[in-house]
Amino acid sequence: MLQVRDGAGEMLGVLFDRYQTPLFNFYSKLTGDRMLSEDLVQEVFLRILKYRQSYRPGTPFRAWVYQIARNARIDHFRKFPKQIALEPEMIPPVIPADSAQERQEVELLQRALQQLPEEKREILLLCRFQELKYEEIASLLGCELNTVRTRIHRAIHELRKNFQHLTQRTMLKRAEATATENTPPRGGHYEV
Amino acid sequence: MKCEEVAELLPDYLQANLRADQLHNVEAHLEHCADCSEEVVIWKKLSLLPIEQPGPASRERFEAMLQAYQAGRSSPPARGSEWPKRASSWNVFHWLRSPLGAAAWSVALLAIGIFAGAHLAAPKPPSPDLADMQKQLTSMKQLVVLSMLQQQSASSRLEGVTWSTRDQQLDPQVLTALLHTLRYDTSVDVRLAALDALGRHGRQPQVRQGILDSLQEQQQSPLVQVALIDLLLEWRDPEAAQRLQALQQTPNLNPTVRQRAEWAKSKLD
Repeated sequence: MLQVRDGAGEMLGVLFDRYQTPLFNFYSKLTGDRMLSEDLVQEVFLRILKYRQSYRPGTPFRAWVYQIARNARIDHFRKFPKQIALEPEMIPPVIPADSAQERQEVELLQRALQQLPEEKREILLLCRFQELKYEEIASLLGCELNTVRTRIHRAIHELRKNFQHLTQRTMLKRAEATATENTPPRGGHYEV
Repeated sequence: MKCEEVAELLPDYLQANLRADQLHNVEAHLEHCADCSEEVVIWKKLSLLPIEQPGPASRERFEAMLQAYQAGRSSPPARGSEWPKRASSWNVFHWLRSPLGAAAWSVALLAIGIFAGAHLAAPKPPSPDLADMQKQLTSMKQLVVLSMLQQQSASSRLEGVTWSTRDQQLDPQVLTALLHTLRYDTSVDVRLAALDALGRHGRQPQVRQGILDSLQEQQQSPLVQVALIDLLLEWRDPEAAQRLQALQQTPNLNPTVRQRAEWAKSKLD
């Protein structure tokens, strides 16, 4: 990063290779919109170029990038307020899981995650997928370390409830479907 | 240990940040409490979520942006190059020591004082730095658009057109590039997108004239021709009726386009 800061624009390519997928995943899991996520990733790198002088050597680069990433998203939604409520269907159905059961779990988990309020989803993504330390998240969100811990616990708690609820609903639906299949048509016995 | 106490330690447990005694207590609780252990399970399950990959065009877009940025940076500064030469040949300090220099120096200091006082007392205008930065950002985005419009792949050019729609004000150079795309791009999709982007800038005479002219030229795609007719109808351009008339007289015109032109003319009348 120091080389990028001091003007070696080519080095940004290295950073792009390293960060484009994590950033893309951060945005896509947060917004459920692939095209917007790609746009925002480009915006982040444009901002890294523009504001590279503001990076202080010795501070964690990852936290700096996510600060830019959060701001880029906030600015985007300030300019273009969300008009459509986020639907679970917006998540691309790319689920390379081994078994049918695992595939279903992943799908339910994605839906449970999307049902979380945005700030809870964001904090989970930051610590679970972007692997930011709690201290980094605290400085990113501008809150106390203990607040981060509490928020993370609340997010996990709600995610578990959503997931359980969705699993139960799916099982009920499946049981109903099986019951309908196994019921013989009325009067069919006497027609033979 | 109660669930509330575990709840406080759970985030650190999940990051393996607990002391040995805390770890022991939490694990002992988790063995007996289904609710708390479910929370650990869901945390672990999150690793099942697939890592999604951005589209292949992402890297191309980044390269185009970087190229445009570097092109912008490497252009020589417009002003200031003469100043150091002059300053070195001019013995500034010698001149300041003379009585005339001292008088000039005093007047200059007084002027700076008055200016600074007036400036500080007056309400602050929007920061020129910020305006300049925004201007630079806009011009850089437009450089990206120009670079993307010249890419080999149609999807990159399409993205270039889409990028152009993000700015309210477009540089005349970008408008010219979009008009060129509308006329000569090999992909119909890109041409349609360019028309859509240009439609937002109908108040500019350059765009209006360019669109009118593209209707006259040999536009190959009936889809683009129909879109052009619709746009002219929307703008209610005074020249539109005359241009539509001329279009109808073109030999081998697609019947749908001819019909659309007729319909548009009737609407204009």
